Amino acid sequence: MSDSRLARAGWRIAGYAFFLGLWQLASGTVLDDVLLPPPAAIAGEIAGIAASGELPLHFFTTVSTIAVGFAIAYVLGAAIGLLMGRSRWWEAFLGDGVMAALTTPGLVFALVTAMIFGLGNLGPVVAVIVTSFSYVTVNVVEGVRAAPSDLVHMSRAFGRTRTQLLRHVYLPFLAPYLFTAARYGFSVAWKIATLSEVIVGTAGIGFMMRRSFQEFNMTGFLAWVLIFFAFALFLERVVLQRWMRRTLAWRPEVAA
Amino acid sequence: MNDVAKIRVDGLRKEFGEVRALDDVSFEVSGQEFVSIVGPSGCGKSTLLNVLSGVEPATAGTIRITEGERRARLGYVFQSARLLPWRTVRDNLLFVQETRDAAVRERCERYLDMVGLAHTAEQFPGQLSGGMQQRVGIARAFSIEPDLLLMDEPFSHLDAITGRGLRRELHELWTRTRKTVLFVTHDVSEAVELSTRILMFAKGGRLVSDQRVDLPFPRDGSSDEVALARADLLRRFESLDLLAT
Amino acid sequence: MTRGGLTGRTGVTRALFWAALVAVWWVAVPLLPTGLVPGPAEVAVFMWDELRGDTLAPFTVYESFALSFERLFTGLAIAFAVGVPVGLLMGLVKPAEHFLHDFTVVGLAMPSLVWALVTGMWFGLGDLAPVTTVALAAVAFVVINVAEGVRNVPRELLDMAAAYGVLRGRVIRHVVFPSLMPFFFAALRYGLANAWKGLVLAEVWASTSGAGWVIKYWYDAHRAQGIVGYALFFVIVAVFIERAIFGRLSARVFRWRPEIGRPVPETAAAESVVPKSPVPETSAERSG
Ligand SMILES: Nc1ncnc2c1ncn2[C@@H]1O[C@H](COP(=O)(O)OP(=O)(O)OP(=O)(O)O)[C@@H](O)[C@H]1O
Ligand SMILES: [Mg+2]
Repeated sequence: MSDSRLARAGWRIAGYAFFLGLWQLASGTVLDDVLLPPPAAIAGEIAGIAASGELPLHFFTTVSTIAVGFAIAYVLGAAIGLLMGRSRWWEAFLGDGVMAALTTPGLVFALVTAMIFGLGNLGPVVAVIVTSFSYVTVNVVEGVRAAPSDLVHMSRAFGRTRTQLLRHVYLPFLAPYLFTAARYGFSVAWKIATLSEVIVGTAGIGFMMRRSFQEFNMTGFLAWVLIFFAFALFLERVVLQRWMRRTLAWRPEVAA
Repeated sequence: MNDVAKIRVDGLRKEFGEVRALDDVSFEVSGQEFVSIVGPSGCGKSTLLNVLSGVEPATAGTIRITEGERRARLGYVFQSARLLPWRTVRDNLLFVQETRDAAVRERCERYLDMVGLAHTAEQFPGQLSGGMQQRVGIARAFSIEPDLLLMDEPFSHLDAITGRGLRRELHELWTRTRKTVLFVTHDVSEAVELSTRILMFAKGGRLVSDQRVDLPFPRDGSSDEVALARADLLRRFESLDLLAT
Repeated sequence: MTRGGLTGRTGVTRALFWAALVAVWWVAVPLLPTGLVPGPAEVAVFMWDELRGDTLAPFTVYESFALSFERLFTGLAIAFAVGVPVGLLMGLVKPAEHFLHDFTVVGLAMPSLVWALVTGMWFGLGDLAPVTTVALAAVAFVVINVAEGVRNVPRELLDMAAAYGVLRGRVIRHVVFPSLMPFFFAALRYGLANAWKGLVLAEVWASTSGAGWVIKYWYDAHRAQGIVGYALFFVIVAVFIERAIFGRLSARVFRWRPEIGRPVPETAAAESVVPKSPVPETSAERSG
């Protein structure tokens, strides 16, 4: 078989090697190395940032903004999603608002919250809430609809209470969607948090991105981006995914 | 007398990885025949048609299908309808035609009418029932006026009355044209009613019996001869160790 | 989400939402501790002036949105020109798939803010950075969807065409192309959504014109009604694209689907965790 695990890994590694090689080659030739610093320079910069002790402060600022904002957005978004999934009236009432929130560029929310809350941390937190709740909502609405209506009818026929219905029928079908909601909501949350910090932050990853941008320091900029991007992607793809697989082991088709 | 498709199959083998679907199958069809292929589920009937039509390559063995001197034109009714969901019923028929002149269009309408679906020509397959889709598939195969007609359980999804009507149509068509037909079915009565010859397959894709049905047409399903032939066939079916591999 | 105009049974409810929103806004503004938030009347006046072409900004609302759309479509055209061949390659050739897969995932996840700032540093102020940002923000969606589409051309229909000896050109036109359509569509829809969000960021930091730049202009000028008014223009444009363009287009292109009139939620959600029903809006759109 040409598609063995080994060949697969080989092509994958070749991909990384090719990309890094291309980067190295382009740096200083196609683009000036101020504009495109070589990979080694960025690695050095990352090590420098780590050694300087700046990292924990900015990391903490951004991560706490995301944590607080996203926790609120999740609860709010899920509540709205449940409401909309169970009732046609609420769906019609809130549908436009959710769609508007989904399609409006994050910049708009970042600027509006910046205008209201000024410099500091509150603006980014509110921006995270208003931007990411809608992503949670649409997934939860889908999840509520995924519960087969025959099971719902069966439970009603047997006179089950609302809580029993919620716990034993809706929740099991909702579970994978709740995870999807968390993953996509989170992926939006960390992006808007950094964007918002670029505009009004006084500390945080976004703040450092802005500073590097203004100082025209591409090496520093890419270093900060890479550090945080790697961290966020790790949370999004590895931690959340693992957790979901463990929780949903009873549904092989979802966990796989 | 026009030429009819002749088929010659020698030592045909087909494997899907570990699974052997056809095992050293050899037979010859000399034309003017209506050949039914029967056997239990999974014995390789569909695979045989796929290999004959060139959809699947054979693992080993040779196949020759000729119509006079040229390559035979082939109509295939698949086990599922296989219609293009994004084209109307009419366009599905036109899709497989070589040309699209007025005569061809008229022919397509005629065969749609034959399967009782002239009124659905403008509709999309998704708007038809499963049985109706299957009938479109049948009309499509007829509409190219093939030299060789391959049919994979074409009537098994249809209700008894529609199935009977179409069986009669198929028989009349065959009597009129005497084109070669290979007809897969799991229904022994159907095989006895329609065919001049019956090939029986056993599990593992072995061809275990090849016998003629020498009864005059039209055959009345309730007549003694047909009942006898059917009983005989069923007995053979049971005596053969069809499920052994 | 609900469909259709502001008429019919759900129309009243939907109108009620917007009315309630304005009412809450009206009541809440005076209660806020800051005087910076404009009331609905101020914003309405601002928007009306803009629509009449009477503006304090260097560009009218028509000029700025037209310019942004021009950049958006140029960038999208580039994204498709590059993404379609790469997607075809990935869908057809296994090694290419392994070679490129992780980069497309990173491309999907990359914040468009990063593209905007990097291209800004590379190309300075002008058209080049916004257009490149659009192309970069959309290309991964095109690649992933085309690759998935190619893998999903129904085998049994290709076999059917082969059995009937249908010519290659006709097979491509009637079998391959229609079955790719939903994937092209998804690529366009989610690529466009992501690109639009990236574009306005690039306009802020790497150009001196366009809708994104103008909203930042109001921000820097401390004109709150300008920010909110422009925000509403953004909402209106987005809803228009979603409903009037994509809604209509998909109803037309996919009219063969049995559930006529329903929006088509089909996409090659790059790595949807919930099988049967991927949630495309969320799997694909990403806020800038
Ligand atoms: N594409 C394929 N890949 C792998 N195995 C296959 C494939 N097609 C058929 N098989 C296997 O080949 C064998 C014969 O299959 P085939 O479809 O020809 O059976 P059949 O006689 O038509 O059965 P039925 O009456 O149920 O339609 C089966 O064991 C099946 O699992
Ligand atoms: Mg079969």
